[in-house]
Amino acid sequence: MNKKLKIGMVCPYGWDTPGGVQIHIKELAEYFINQGHDVSVFAPVTDDSNIQESWLVSAGRPVAIPFNGAVARISFGPLASSRVRQWIANGDFDLLHLHEPAIPSLSLLACWASEGPMVATFHAASPKQKAIYAIGPILEPVLEKLTARIAVSEMARQTLKDHFETEAVVIPNGINSTKLHEAEPNPIWQSGRTIGFIGRFTEPRKGLSVLLEAMPIVAKAFPDVQLLIAGPGDSDEVKKVFPPSIAERTKFLGRLSEEEKASFFKSVEIYIAPNTGGESFGIILAEAMAAGTPIVASDIPAFSDLLVSGEYGALFDSENSKDLAKILIELLRDQNRRQELSARALEYSEKFDWQTVAEQIMSVYELALVGNDGVKLGSENRMWNRRRLQ
Amino acid sequence: MTNSMLKIVFLVVILALILAWYLSFSATRLDRLHHRVETSWEHLDALLQRRAAIAIEIAHQPDLDPATYVLLASAAFQAREASIVERSEAESSLSQSLSLIQSEADDLGDAITPSLLSELTTISAKIKVAVNIHLEAVNAVKHLRSKLVFRIFRLAGHAPLPLRYSFEDDIA
Repeated sequence: MNKKLKIGMVCPYGWDTPGGVQIHIKELAEYFINQGHDVSVFAPVTDDSNIQESWLVSAGRPVAIPFNGAVARISFGPLASSRVRQWIANGDFDLLHLHEPAIPSLSLLACWASEGPMVATFHAASPKQKAIYAIGPILEPVLEKLTARIAVSEMARQTLKDHFETEAVVIPNGINSTKLHEAEPNPIWQSGRTIGFIGRFTEPRKGLSVLLEAMPIVAKAFPDVQLLIAGPGDSDEVKKVFPPSIAERTKFLGRLSEEEKASFFKSVEIYIAPNTGGESFGIILAEAMAAGTPIVASDIPAFSDLLVSGEYGALFDSENSKDLAKILIELLRDQNRRQELSARALEYSEKFDWQTVAEQIMSVYELALVGNDGVKLGSENRMWNRRRLQ
Repeated sequence: MTNSMLKIVFLVVILALILAWYLSFSATRLDRLHHRVETSWEHLDALLQRRAAIAIEIAHQPDLDPATYVLLASAAFQAREASIVERSEAESSLSQSLSLIQSEADDLGDAITPSLLSELTTISAKIKVAVNIHLEAVNAVKHLRSKLVFRIFRLAGHAPLPLRYSFEDDIA
Protein backbone atom coordinates (compact mmCIF):
# COMPACT_ATOMS: atom_id res chain seq x y z
CA MET A 1 0.00 0.00 0.00
CA ASN A 2 1.44 3.36 -0.97
CA LYS A 3 -0.91 5.51 1.02
CA LYS A 4 0.64 6.86 4.21
CA LEU A 5 -1.47 5.97 7.20
CA LYS A 6 -2.23 7.82 10.37
CA ILE A 7 -2.06 5.10 13.03
CA GLY A 8 -3.06 5.47 16.67
CA MET A 9 -1.55 2.82 18.96
CA VAL A 10 -2.65 2.29 22.54
CA CYS A 11 -0.47 0.77 25.25
CA PRO A 12 -2.29 -0.41 28.40
CA TYR A 13 0.75 -0.53 30.69
CA GLY A 14 2.95 2.22 32.12
CA TRP A 15 5.34 3.28 29.32
CA ASP A 16 8.31 3.87 31.61
CA THR A 17 8.19 0.48 33.32
CA PRO A 18 10.05 -2.25 31.45
CA GLY A 19 7.87 -4.85 29.77
CA GLY A 20 7.48 -6.90 26.63
CA VAL A 21 4.32 -5.16 25.43
CA GLN A 22 5.92 -1.72 25.72
CA ILE A 23 9.01 -2.81 23.77
CA HIS A 24 6.86 -4.39 21.09
CA ILE A 25 4.85 -1.18 20.64
CA LYS A 26 7.95 1.01 20.62
CA GLU A 27 9.74 -1.01 17.95
CA LEU A 28 6.63 -1.40 15.83
CA ALA A 29 5.92 2.35 16.00
CA GLU A 30 9.51 3.13 15.04
CA TYR A 31 9.33 0.75 12.10
CA PHE A 32 6.15 2.31 10.73
CA ILE A 33 7.49 5.84 11.25
CA ASN A 34 10.58 4.87 9.23
CA GLN A 35 8.22 3.67 6.52
CA GLY A 36 6.75 7.16 6.41
CA HIS A 37 3.55 6.50 8.32
CA ASP A 38 2.31 8.84 10.98
CA VAL A 39 2.11 7.08 14.35
CA SER A 40 0.87 8.34 17.70
CA VAL A 41 1.22 6.11 20.77
CA PHE A 42 -1.06 6.71 23.75
CA ALA A 43 0.16 5.25 27.06
CA PRO A 44 0.15 5.82 30.82
CA VAL A 45 3.36 7.53 31.95
CA THR A 46 4.68 7.66 35.53
CA ASP A 47 7.27 10.36 35.01
CA ASP A 48 7.03 12.59 31.93
CA SER A 49 10.75 13.41 32.08
CA ASN A 50 11.51 9.76 31.16
CA ILE A 51 9.96 10.22 27.75
CA GLN A 52 12.18 10.76 24.72
CA GLU A 53 9.77 9.77 21.99
CA SER A 54 8.12 12.70 20.22
CA TRP A 55 5.28 10.48 19.04
CA LEU A 56 4.20 9.46 22.52
CA VAL A 57 1.12 11.02 24.12
CA SER A 58 0.83 10.63 27.89
CA ALA A 59 -2.43 9.52 29.44
CA GLY A 60 -1.29 10.56 32.90
CA ARG A 61 0.05 8.48 35.76
CA PRO A 62 -0.88 4.79 35.93
CA VAL A 63 -1.88 3.13 39.20
CA ALA A 64 -0.27 -0.09 40.37
CA ILE A 65 -3.01 -2.56 41.16
CA PRO A 66 -3.22 -6.32 41.42
CA PHE A 67 -5.07 -7.82 38.49
CA ASN A 68 -5.31 -11.56 37.92
CA GLY A 69 -2.58 -12.34 40.39
CA ALA A 70 0.07 -9.87 39.20
CA VAL A 71 0.59 -6.17 39.84
CA ALA A 72 -0.19 -4.15 36.73
CA ARG A 73 0.45 -0.46 36.08
CA ILE A 74 -2.67 0.62 34.29
CA SER A 75 -4.99 3.62 33.78
CA PHE A 76 -8.75 3.59 34.13
CA GLY A 77 -11.61 5.62 35.51
CA PRO A 78 -13.41 8.73 34.28
CA LEU A 79 -10.28 10.83 33.88
CA ALA A 80 -8.47 8.24 31.75
CA SER A 81 -11.71 7.78 29.86
CA SER A 82 -12.03 11.42 28.91
CA ARG A 83 -8.33 11.62 27.94
CA VAL A 84 -8.78 8.68 25.60
CA ARG A 85 -11.73 10.40 23.93
CA GLN A 86 -9.76 13.59 23.60
CA TRP A 87 -6.79 11.79 22.00
CA ILE A 88 -9.09 10.05 19.52
CA ALA A 89 -11.01 13.22 18.72
CA ASN A 90 -7.79 15.17 18.03
CA GLY A 91 -5.96 12.35 16.30
CA ASP A 92 -7.98 12.00 13.11
CA PHE A 93 -6.66 8.44 12.79
CA ASP A 94 -7.16 6.10 9.85
CA LEU A 95 -6.84 3.15 12.18
CA LEU A 96 -6.39 2.23 15.84
CA HIS A 97 -4.06 -0.54 16.96
CA LEU A 98 -5.00 -1.57 20.51
CA HIS A 99 -2.72 -3.78 22.59
CA GLU A 100 -4.19 -6.12 25.21
CA PRO A 101 -7.75 -4.71 25.07
CA ALA A 102 -8.98 -7.27 27.61
CA ILE A 103 -6.88 -5.63 30.34
CA PRO A 104 -8.85 -2.96 32.26
CA SER A 105 -6.85 -0.06 30.91
CA LEU A 106 -6.56 2.43 28.04
CA SER A 107 -6.93 -0.05 25.17
CA LEU A 108 -10.28 -1.21 26.48
CA LEU A 109 -11.40 2.39 27.00
CA ALA A 110 -10.31 3.29 23.46
CA CYS A 111 -12.17 0.35 22.01
CA TRP A 112 -15.25 1.33 23.98
CA ALA A 113 -15.12 4.94 22.89
CA SER A 114 -14.49 4.64 19.16
CA GLU A 115 -15.99 3.50 15.89
CA GLY A 116 -14.09 2.49 12.79
CA PRO A 117 -11.16 0.28 11.84
CA MET A 118 -9.57 -1.20 14.94
CA VAL A 119 -6.91 -3.91 15.13
CA ALA A 120 -6.02 -5.52 18.45
CA THR A 121 -3.00 -7.54 19.52
CA PHE A 122 -3.32 -10.05 22.35
CA HIS A 123 0.00 -10.78 24.03
CA ALA A 124 -0.74 -12.73 27.19
CA ALA A 125 -1.34 -16.42 27.56
CA SER A 126 -3.00 -17.78 30.66
CA PRO A 127 -5.18 -20.68 31.67
CA LYS A 128 -8.88 -19.92 31.66
CA GLN A 129 -9.80 -17.53 34.46
CA LYS A 130 -12.93 -18.24 36.41
CA ALA A 131 -13.63 -14.51 36.61
CA ILE A 132 -14.29 -14.54 32.88
CA TYR A 133 -17.86 -15.55 33.63
CA ALA A 134 -18.27 -12.27 35.49
CA ILE A 135 -16.51 -9.98 33.03
CA GLY A 136 -17.01 -11.85 29.76
CA PRO A 137 -20.52 -10.56 29.09
CA ILE A 138 -19.20 -7.01 29.42
CA LEU A 139 -16.00 -7.46 27.45
CA GLU A 140 -17.57 -9.38 24.61
CA PRO A 141 -19.70 -6.57 23.16
CA VAL A 142 -16.70 -4.22 23.36
CA LEU A 143 -14.24 -6.64 21.79
CA GLU A 144 -16.80 -7.38 19.08
CA LYS A 145 -16.05 -3.92 17.68
CA LEU A 146 -12.50 -4.96 16.76
CA THR A 147 -12.13 -5.33 13.03
CA ALA A 148 -9.23 -7.77 13.28
CA ARG A 149 -7.43 -9.63 16.04
CA ILE A 150 -3.79 -10.64 16.26
CA ALA A 151 -2.27 -13.06 18.78
CA VAL A 152 1.49 -13.08 19.27
CA SER A 153 1.66 -16.84 19.73
CA GLU A 154 -0.34 -20.01 19.46
CA MET A 155 -0.71 -19.89 23.25
CA ALA A 156 -2.11 -16.36 23.16
CA ARG A 157 -4.50 -17.39 20.38
CA GLN A 158 -5.71 -20.31 22.47
CA THR A 159 -6.19 -18.04 25.50
CA LEU A 160 -8.32 -15.69 23.44
CA LYS A 161 -10.33 -18.58 22.10
CA ASP A 162 -10.96 -20.03 25.56
CA HIS A 163 -12.01 -16.71 27.03
CA PHE A 164 -14.02 -15.07 24.26
CA GLU A 165 -14.54 -17.74 21.65
CA THR A 166 -13.04 -15.56 18.96
CA GLU A 167 -10.34 -16.32 16.45
CA ALA A 168 -7.12 -14.44 15.83
CA VAL A 169 -4.29 -14.42 13.31
CA VAL A 170 -0.96 -15.42 14.82
CA ILE A 171 1.77 -12.88 14.10
CA PRO A 172 4.85 -13.22 16.32
CA ASN A 173 6.59 -10.53 18.33
CA GLY A 174 9.25 -8.73 16.30
CA ILE A 175 13.00 -8.46 16.80
CA ASN A 176 15.83 -6.50 15.18
CA SER A 177 17.73 -9.40 13.61
CA THR A 178 20.40 -7.34 11.90
CA LYS A 179 21.54 -5.69 15.12
CA LEU A 180 21.68 -9.03 16.89
CA HIS A 181 23.43 -10.71 14.02
CA GLU A 182 26.07 -8.05 13.55
CA ALA A 183 27.00 -7.59 17.22
CA GLU A 184 30.58 -8.33 18.30
CA PRO A 185 31.36 -10.85 21.06
CA ASN A 186 32.81 -9.49 24.28
CA PRO A 187 36.01 -11.37 25.29
CA ILE A 188 35.37 -11.04 29.04
CA TRP A 189 32.26 -13.19 28.60
CA GLN A 190 34.18 -15.85 26.72
CA SER A 191 36.49 -17.42 29.29
CA GLY A 192 35.83 -21.14 29.43
CA ARG A 193 32.63 -22.77 28.25
CA THR A 194 30.00 -20.17 28.98
CA ILE A 195 26.33 -20.78 29.54
CA GLY A 196 24.16 -17.65 29.43
CA PHE A 197 20.88 -16.90 31.21
CA ILE A 198 18.83 -13.70 30.88
CA GLY A 199 15.77 -12.82 32.95
CA ARG A 200 14.39 -11.77 36.31
CA PHE A 201 16.15 -14.63 38.05
CA THR A 202 14.36 -14.10 41.37
CA GLU A 203 11.03 -15.12 39.81
CA PRO A 204 10.57 -18.88 40.35
CA ARG A 205 8.91 -19.35 36.93
CA LYS A 206 12.15 -18.33 35.22
CA GLY A 207 13.52 -21.66 36.43
CA LEU A 208 16.97 -20.65 37.71
CA SER A 209 16.67 -23.25 40.49
CA VAL A 210 16.32 -26.03 37.91
CA LEU A 211 19.51 -24.84 36.26
CA LEU A 212 21.32 -24.60 39.62
CA GLU A 213 20.57 -28.24 40.35
CA ALA A 214 21.89 -29.26 36.95
CA MET A 215 25.10 -27.23 37.13
CA PRO A 216 27.14 -29.45 39.53
CA ILE A 217 26.66 -32.39 37.13
CA VAL A 218 27.73 -30.25 34.19
CA ALA A 219 30.71 -28.90 36.14
CA LYS A 220 31.90 -32.44 36.80
CA ALA A 221 32.02 -33.17 33.07
CA PHE A 222 33.40 -29.74 32.13
CA PRO A 223 35.46 -28.15 34.92
CA ASP A 224 35.87 -24.96 32.87
CA VAL A 225 32.13 -24.27 32.61
CA GLN A 226 31.02 -20.73 33.48
CA LEU A 227 27.52 -19.46 34.19
CA LEU A 228 26.63 -15.88 33.18
CA ILE A 229 23.40 -14.50 34.61
CA ALA A 230 21.99 -11.23 33.30
CA GLY A 231 18.84 -9.45 34.38
CA PRO A 232 17.47 -7.30 37.18
CA GLY A 233 17.30 -8.69 40.71
CA ASP A 234 19.16 -9.02 44.00
CA SER A 235 22.07 -11.37 43.25
CA ASP A 236 23.21 -11.63 46.90
CA GLU A 237 19.84 -13.06 47.83
CA VAL A 238 20.06 -15.71 45.10
CA LYS A 239 23.71 -16.54 45.71
CA LYS A 240 22.88 -17.94 49.15
CA VAL A 241 21.26 -21.00 47.62
CA PHE A 242 24.14 -21.64 45.20
CA PRO A 243 26.27 -24.73 45.72
CA PRO A 244 29.77 -23.33 46.45
CA SER A 245 31.35 -25.05 43.45
CA ILE A 246 28.86 -23.24 41.21
CA ALA A 247 29.02 -19.86 42.96
CA GLU A 248 32.67 -19.49 41.95
CA ARG A 249 31.77 -20.30 38.36
CA THR A 250 28.96 -17.72 38.20
CA LYS A 251 28.97 -14.06 37.22
CA PHE A 252 26.04 -11.71 37.68
CA LEU A 253 25.95 -9.00 35.03
CA GLY A 254 22.87 -7.04 36.12
CA ARG A 255 20.55 -5.53 33.59
CA LEU A 256 21.98 -5.39 30.04
CA SER A 257 21.33 -2.68 27.46
CA GLU A 258 20.09 -3.76 24.03
CA GLU A 259 23.65 -3.52 22.63
CA GLU A 260 25.14 -5.46 25.54
CA LYS A 261 22.48 -8.10 25.16
CA ALA A 262 23.35 -8.61 21.49
CA SER A 263 27.01 -8.96 22.34
CA PHE A 264 26.14 -11.31 25.24
CA PHE A 265 24.38 -13.67 22.82
CA LYS A 266 27.40 -13.58 20.54
CA SER A 267 29.77 -14.38 23.41
CA VAL A 268 28.16 -17.32 25.18
CA GLU A 269 28.51 -20.89 24.00
CA ILE A 270 24.95 -21.90 24.89
CA TYR A 271 21.89 -19.87 25.82
CA ILE A 272 19.71 -21.55 28.46
CA ALA A 273 16.00 -20.92 29.11
CA PRO A 274 14.85 -23.20 31.97
CA ASN A 275 11.47 -21.43 32.42
CA THR A 276 8.82 -23.53 34.13
CA GLY A 277 5.79 -21.76 32.63
CA GLY A 278 3.95 -18.48 32.27
CA GLU A 279 5.47 -17.64 28.89
CA SER A 280 3.35 -16.69 25.90
CA PHE A 281 5.93 -16.23 23.16
CA GLY A 282 9.52 -16.27 24.41
CA ILE A 283 11.02 -13.29 22.58
CA ILE A 284 14.39 -13.89 24.23
CA LEU A 285 14.71 -17.19 22.36
CA ALA A 286 13.88 -15.51 19.06
CA GLU A 287 16.68 -13.03 19.81
CA ALA A 288 19.15 -15.78 20.71
CA MET A 289 18.26 -17.51 17.43
CA ALA A 290 18.87 -14.33 15.46
CA ALA A 291 22.27 -13.97 17.10
CA GLY A 292 23.08 -17.57 16.14
CA THR A 293 23.45 -18.80 19.73
CA PRO A 294 22.71 -22.50 20.28
CA ILE A 295 19.73 -22.80 22.62
CA VAL A 296 18.77 -25.22 25.38
CA ALA A 297 15.20 -24.62 26.59
CA SER A 298 12.55 -26.31 28.70
CA ASP A 299 9.81 -28.02 26.71
CA ILE A 300 6.98 -25.75 27.95
CA PRO A 301 4.38 -25.19 25.18
CA ALA A 302 5.52 -21.66 24.27
CA PHE A 303 9.16 -22.71 23.78
CA SER A 304 8.32 -25.98 22.10
CA ASP A 305 6.18 -23.99 19.62
CA LEU A 306 8.84 -21.39 19.01
CA LEU A 307 11.63 -23.92 18.55
CA VAL A 308 9.35 -26.18 16.49
CA SER A 309 9.66 -29.19 18.81
CA GLY A 310 13.41 -28.98 19.10
CA GLU A 311 14.24 -28.32 15.47
CA TYR A 312 15.92 -24.97 16.27
CA GLY A 313 17.17 -25.58 19.80
CA ALA A 314 17.57 -28.49 22.20
CA LEU A 315 14.59 -29.09 24.51
CA PHE A 316 14.72 -30.74 27.93
CA ASP A 317 11.98 -32.13 30.11
CA SER A 318 10.76 -29.02 32.00
CA GLU A 319 11.70 -28.87 35.71
CA ASN A 320 13.86 -31.98 35.32
CA SER A 321 17.40 -30.89 36.19
CA LYS A 322 18.92 -34.29 35.46
CA ASP A 323 17.60 -34.17 31.92
CA LEU A 324 18.81 -30.58 31.61
CA ALA A 325 22.31 -31.60 32.72
CA LYS A 326 22.33 -34.46 30.21
CA ILE A 327 21.28 -32.21 27.32
CA LEU A 328 23.77 -29.50 28.30
CA ILE A 329 26.65 -31.97 28.48
CA GLU A 330 25.74 -33.54 25.15
CA LEU A 331 25.60 -30.18 23.45
CA LEU A 332 28.82 -28.91 25.04
CA ARG A 333 30.58 -32.07 23.77
CA ASP A 334 29.28 -31.83 20.25
CA GLN A 335 30.55 -28.80 18.40
CA ASN A 336 29.07 -29.94 15.10
CA ARG A 337 25.61 -30.09 16.55
CA ARG A 338 26.01 -26.63 18.05
CA GLN A 339 27.02 -25.20 14.69
CA GLU A 340 24.21 -27.00 12.97
CA LEU A 341 21.60 -25.70 15.46
CA SER A 342 23.00 -22.21 15.24
CA ALA A 343 22.89 -22.12 11.44
CA ARG A 344 19.39 -23.51 11.24
CA ALA A 345 18.04 -21.16 13.93
CA LEU A 346 19.68 -18.16 12.32
CA GLU A 347 17.90 -18.80 9.06
CA TYR A 348 14.59 -19.52 10.77
CA SER A 349 14.76 -16.33 12.86
CA GLU A 350 14.19 -14.22 9.73
CA LYS A 351 10.57 -14.98 10.42
CA PHE A 352 10.69 -12.79 13.54
CA ASP A 353 12.48 -9.80 12.05
CA TRP A 354 10.44 -6.59 12.09
CA GLN A 355 10.80 -6.50 8.33
CA THR A 356 8.62 -9.60 8.13
CA VAL A 357 6.48 -9.08 11.22
CA ALA A 358 5.56 -5.44 10.61
CA GLU A 359 4.65 -6.19 6.98
CA GLN A 360 2.34 -8.93 8.20
CA ILE A 361 0.76 -6.50 10.63
CA MET A 362 0.42 -3.95 7.82
CA SER A 363 -1.51 -6.45 5.73
CA VAL A 364 -3.91 -6.92 8.64
CA TYR A 365 -4.27 -3.11 8.73
CA GLU A 366 -5.09 -3.10 5.03
CA LEU A 367 -7.74 -5.72 5.59
CA ALA A 368 -9.24 -3.68 8.42
CA LEU A 369 -9.24 -0.50 6.36
CA VAL A 370 -11.39 -1.88 3.55
CA GLY A 371 -14.61 0.07 3.31
CA ASN A 372 -13.86 2.16 6.36
CA ASP A 373 -13.16 5.84 6.48
CA GLY A 374 -11.28 6.61 9.64
CA VAL A 375 -11.73 6.37 13.37
CA LYS A 376 -14.46 8.40 15.03
CA LEU A 377 -15.74 8.72 18.53
CA GLY A 378 -18.69 6.45 19.01
CA SER A 379 -22.00 8.17 19.52
CA GLU A 380 -23.89 5.39 21.20
CA ASN A 381 -21.92 4.80 24.36
CA ARG A 382 -25.16 5.25 26.20
CA MET A 383 -26.65 2.37 24.32
CA TRP A 384 -23.76 0.18 25.34
CA ASN A 385 -24.53 1.07 28.92
CA ARG A 386 -28.15 0.19 28.54
CA ARG A 387 -27.26 -3.16 27.08
CA ARG A 388 -25.21 -3.86 30.14
CA LEU A 389 -28.10 -3.25 32.47
CA GLN A 390 -30.35 -5.84 30.96
CA MET B 1 -0.04 -49.31 106.44
CA THR B 2 1.71 -46.62 108.38
CA ASN B 3 0.39 -43.23 109.02
CA SER B 4 3.01 -41.49 106.89
CA MET B 5 2.25 -43.65 103.86
CA LEU B 6 -1.40 -42.74 104.14
CA LYS B 7 -0.39 -39.11 104.22
CA ILE B 8 1.59 -39.49 101.00
CA VAL B 9 -1.23 -41.28 99.20
CA PHE B 10 -3.60 -38.58 100.34
CA LEU B 11 -1.26 -35.90 99.04
CA VAL B 12 -0.87 -37.61 95.67
CA VAL B 13 -4.61 -37.90 95.29
CA ILE B 14 -5.03 -34.22 96.11
CA LEU B 15 -2.35 -33.27 93.60
CA ALA B 16 -3.92 -35.46 90.94
CA LEU B 17 -7.27 -33.84 91.57
CA ILE B 18 -5.77 -30.39 91.32
CA LEU B 19 -4.03 -31.29 88.06
CA ALA B 20 -7.22 -32.78 86.65
CA TRP B 21 -9.14 -29.69 87.56
CA TYR B 22 -6.46 -27.46 86.07
CA LEU B 23 -6.36 -29.42 82.83
CA SER B 24 -10.10 -29.40 82.45
CA PHE B 25 -10.16 -25.68 83.25
CA SER B 26 -7.48 -25.02 80.62
CA ALA B 27 -9.20 -27.17 78.04
CA THR B 28 -12.42 -25.25 78.55
CA ARG B 29 -10.54 -22.00 78.28
CA LEU B 30 -8.96 -23.06 75.00
CA ASP B 31 -12.22 -24.44 73.72
CA ARG B 32 -13.91 -21.12 74.41
CA LEU B 33 -11.19 -19.31 72.46
CA HIS B 34 -11.42 -21.75 69.56
CA HIS B 35 -15.09 -21.11 69.47
CA ARG B 36 -14.49 -17.38 69.44
CA VAL B 37 -12.09 -17.73 66.49
CA GLU B 38 -14.79 -19.61 64.60
CA THR B 39 -17.59 -17.17 65.30
CA SER B 40 -15.45 -14.10 64.64
CA TRP B 41 -14.34 -15.63 61.35
CA GLU B 42 -17.91 -16.39 60.36
CA HIS B 43 -18.83 -12.80 61.08
CA LEU B 44 -15.84 -11.50 59.11
CA ASP B 45 -16.54 -13.87 56.24
CA ALA B 46 -20.13 -12.64 55.99
CA LEU B 47 -18.95 -9.04 55.91
CA LEU B 48 -16.39 -9.83 53.21
CA GLN B 49 -19.06 -11.51 51.10
CA ARG B 50 -21.23 -8.44 51.57
CA ARG B 51 -18.34 -6.24 50.47
CA ALA B 52 -17.86 -8.28 47.31
CA ALA B 53 -21.55 -7.91 46.56
CA ILE B 54 -21.32 -4.14 46.97
CA ALA B 55 -18.27 -4.10 44.70
CA ILE B 56 -20.23 -5.89 41.98
CA GLU B 57 -23.11 -3.49 42.46
CA ILE B 58 -20.74 -0.55 42.04
CA ALA B 59 -19.24 -2.18 38.94
CA HIS B 60 -22.72 -2.37 37.45
CA GLN B 61 -23.33 1.36 37.71
CA PRO B 62 -24.42 2.33 34.19
CA ASP B 63 -22.13 5.36 33.83
CA LEU B 64 -18.94 3.66 34.95
CA ASP B 65 -16.19 3.14 32.36
CA PRO B 66 -15.62 -0.46 31.27
CA ALA B 67 -12.03 -0.59 32.54
CA THR B 68 -13.13 0.13 36.10
CA TYR B 69 -15.93 -2.36 35.59
CA VAL B 70 -13.57 -5.14 34.55
CA LEU B 71 -11.15 -4.41 37.37
CA LEU B 72 -13.81 -4.34 40.09
CA ALA B 73 -15.93 -7.17 38.78
CA SER B 74 -13.04 -9.57 38.38
CA ALA B 75 -11.59 -8.70 41.81
CA ALA B 76 -14.99 -9.16 43.45
CA PHE B 77 -15.68 -12.35 41.58
CA GLN B 78 -12.30 -13.82 42.49
CA ALA B 79 -12.82 -12.93 46.15
CA ARG B 80 -16.17 -14.69 46.17
CA GLU B 81 -15.07 -17.78 44.30
CA ALA B 82 -11.60 -18.14 45.78
CA SER B 83 -10.55 -21.40 47.38
CA ILE B 84 -9.08 -21.23 50.88
CA VAL B 85 -5.57 -21.05 49.50
CA GLU B 86 -6.29 -18.13 47.18
CA ARG B 87 -8.67 -16.30 49.48
CA SER B 88 -6.19 -14.00 51.17
CA GLU B 89 -4.66 -12.77 47.93
CA ALA B 90 -8.09 -12.29 46.37
CA GLU B 91 -9.37 -10.26 49.33
CA SER B 92 -6.19 -8.16 49.23
CA SER B 93 -6.77 -7.35 45.57
CA LEU B 94 -10.36 -6.38 46.26
CA SER B 95 -9.29 -4.20 49.20
CA GLN B 96 -6.84 -2.34 46.96
CA SER B 97 -9.31 -1.92 44.10
CA LEU B 98 -11.97 -0.61 46.44
CA SER B 99 -9.70 1.79 48.28
CA LEU B 100 -8.78 3.19 44.87
CA ILE B 101 -12.46 3.76 44.15
CA GLN B 102 -12.85 5.46 47.51
CA SER B 103 -9.85 7.71 47.02
CA GLU B 104 -11.17 8.82 43.65
CA ALA B 105 -14.73 9.24 44.87
CA ASP B 106 -14.63 12.90 43.81
CA ASP B 107 -14.01 12.05 40.16
CA LEU B 108 -16.31 9.09 40.22
CA GLY B 109 -19.07 10.95 42.02
CA ASP B 110 -21.17 11.29 38.89
CA ALA B 111 -20.86 7.64 37.95
CA ILE B 112 -21.60 6.00 41.29
CA THR B 113 -24.73 6.45 43.37
CA PRO B 114 -23.71 8.22 46.61
CA SER B 115 -25.64 5.74 48.74
CA LEU B 116 -23.48 2.91 47.38
CA LEU B 117 -20.32 4.78 48.21
CA SER B 118 -21.45 5.43 51.76
CA GLU B 119 -22.47 1.80 52.07
CA LEU B 120 -18.95 0.89 51.00
CA THR B 121 -17.46 3.20 53.61
CA THR B 122 -19.64 1.66 56.32
CA ILE B 123 -18.80 -1.91 55.39
CA SER B 124 -15.07 -1.14 55.18
CA ALA B 125 -15.16 0.25 58.71
CA LYS B 126 -17.09 -2.79 59.97
CA ILE B 127 -14.59 -5.12 58.29
CA LYS B 128 -11.74 -3.34 59.99
CA VAL B 129 -13.31 -3.90 63.40
CA ALA B 130 -14.18 -7.51 62.59
CA VAL B 131 -10.62 -8.21 61.44
CA ASN B 132 -9.22 -6.81 64.67
CA ILE B 133 -11.56 -8.89 66.81
CA HIS B 134 -10.78 -12.00 64.80
CA LEU B 135 -7.03 -11.46 64.93
CA GLU B 136 -7.18 -10.97 68.67
CA ALA B 137 -8.87 -14.33 69.08
CA VAL B 138 -6.39 -15.97 66.70
CA ASN B 139 -3.46 -14.56 68.63
CA ALA B 140 -4.91 -15.64 71.97
CA VAL B 141 -5.32 -19.21 70.74
CA LYS B 142 -1.82 -19.26 69.30
CA HIS B 143 -0.36 -17.90 72.52
CA LEU B 144 -2.15 -20.45 74.66
CA ARG B 145 -1.35 -23.36 72.41
CA SER B 146 2.33 -22.52 72.43
CA LYS B 147 2.45 -23.10 76.22
CA LEU B 148 4.06 -26.28 77.51
CA VAL B 149 1.06 -27.69 79.42
CA PHE B 150 -1.16 -27.31 76.39
CA ARG B 151 1.36 -29.06 74.17
CA ILE B 152 2.16 -31.93 76.60
CA PHE B 153 -1.45 -32.82 77.31
CA ARG B 154 -2.59 -32.05 73.73
CA LEU B 155 -5.41 -29.94 75.06
CA ALA B 156 -6.16 -28.62 71.59
CA GLY B 157 -7.17 -32.09 70.44
CA HIS B 158 -7.56 -32.23 66.69
CA ALA B 159 -8.57 -28.58 66.26
CA PRO B 160 -6.43 -27.00 63.52
CA LEU B 161 -4.22 -24.10 64.47
CA PRO B 162 -5.99 -20.91 63.35
CA LEU B 163 -4.27 -18.98 60.58
CA ARG B 164 -3.43 -15.34 60.28
CA TYR B 165 -3.96 -14.17 56.69
CA SER B 166 -1.93 -11.41 55.15
CA PHE B 167 -5.01 -9.60 53.85
CA GLU B 168 -6.09 -9.17 57.47
CA ASP B 169 -2.83 -7.48 58.35
CA ASP B 170 -3.35 -5.08 55.44
CA ILE B 171 -6.73 -4.08 56.82
CA ALA B 172 -5.88 -4.10 60.52
